[in-house]
Amino acid sequence: MKKGHIYTAVFMIILSAVLTFALALAYESFKPAIKGHKELAEQRAILYALDLDNGLTDDQVAVVTSDLIAEITLGEKMVPAHVKDDKVVAYAVPFTGSGLWGSILGYLGVTADLSETTGIVFTSQNETPGLGGRIEEEQFKGQFRGVPIGPDTELKYVKNGGEIDAVTGATQTSDAVLRMLNAALRQDVFGGEVQE
Amino acid sequence: MAEKPREIIKRNLFSENQVLRAILGICSSLAVTNTMRNSLVMGLGLSVVTALSGLTLSAMRHAIPRRVRMLVQTLIIAVYVIFLDLFLQAFLPDISKQLGPYVGLIITNCIIMGRAEAYAQSNPPFPSMLDGLFAGLGYTMVLMMISLIREILGFGSVFGININFVGFETWTIMIMPPAAFFIIGTFIWVMSARVSRRAVDDK
Repeated sequence: MKKGHIYTAVFMIILSAVLTFALALAYESFKPAIKGHKELAEQRAILYALDLDNGLTDDQVAVVTSDLIAEITLGEKMVPAHVKDDKVVAYAVPFTGSGLWGSILGYLGVTADLSETTGIVFTSQNETPGLGGRIEEEQFKGQFRGVPIGPDTELKYVKNGGEIDAVTGATQTSDAVLRMLNAALRQDVFGGEVQE
Repeated sequence: MAEKPREIIKRNLFSENQVLRAILGICSSLAVTNTMRNSLVMGLGLSVVTALSGLTLSAMRHAIPRRVRMLVQTLIIAVYVIFLDLFLQAFLPDISKQLGPYVGLIITNCIIMGRAEAYAQSNPPFPSMLDGLFAGLGYTMVLMMISLIREILGFGSVFGININFVGFETWTIMIMPPAAFFIIGTFIWVMSARVSRRAVDDK
């Protein structure tokens, strides 16, 4: 059963068209759901960094976000902040930088007087699962509640005389995280010069 | 000479296990087996894609021109993987987040194309689907065994639940890919020894 060149070409064109159409259809019909989940995940992340997420349900996240979160200017940027009775309680400072495999994105919560952190959250990371990927676990993230910061106080790991434990077996990722956090603190929170 | 479903299942799980006998899918067996949860999800994702692509490719096997069959296989597999990825993002966002880059990596798993080439292109749709499903489950089984050893020794936990009550010093090397090399190597050795002993007995 030998098939000619024309059959082959037509077969491939039709197959590609059908499959592309099917995927486009699937994407379009899933898009609203995917977008909804992304927005919810972002809101939940911000609440977590500000230490407001104590096991909220999905509906509560939306309510708490509209009640307590507002965009406030910090330095030169607009950042989400926890506002209570028209007073800022804490800022969620977005940070980004390169990890071991790709970009890491997240928020670092800092109190209104910029004296300590309220929490950390990662919204996007592609670190090695089981190694660097463990920065997403509570064991690591939980250490960033109430750590003192200041214009001259950097975040440090235990091995460098700080309070935070790095992730075992993931030195590169751990170091990258603190590097981007300290850069964000210098640049966006305390407005100093960035040292490279 | 049609194969019975029982035989297809048995062959894919044991005597022709894709990882231990065909030595396919080794890359992901090294990469994702440091925790059991990762292994399970990767294995199930692969099983679904292998089953569906086997079914589809077998259903259209008479229409596919031979010289472009690999192109067609890749295309179909890629479509299923992207669909699975979208589906997880839309309906199971938590699982999708945990899996991260793994879903995309299913495309590159040689077991899927191996089954498409070796089985689906010359067998009817239903056996092809069964063959794909159980080739995937055979892979899952091996991954689970490797990750059980690695997770217990490396993290002191099973499925993320801490079982390290005695304060056992966990081995960092078990979390790293080299550990899987030793474990898979041992498994393959045991498996090959059994198969060759049986071959001698049969004579």
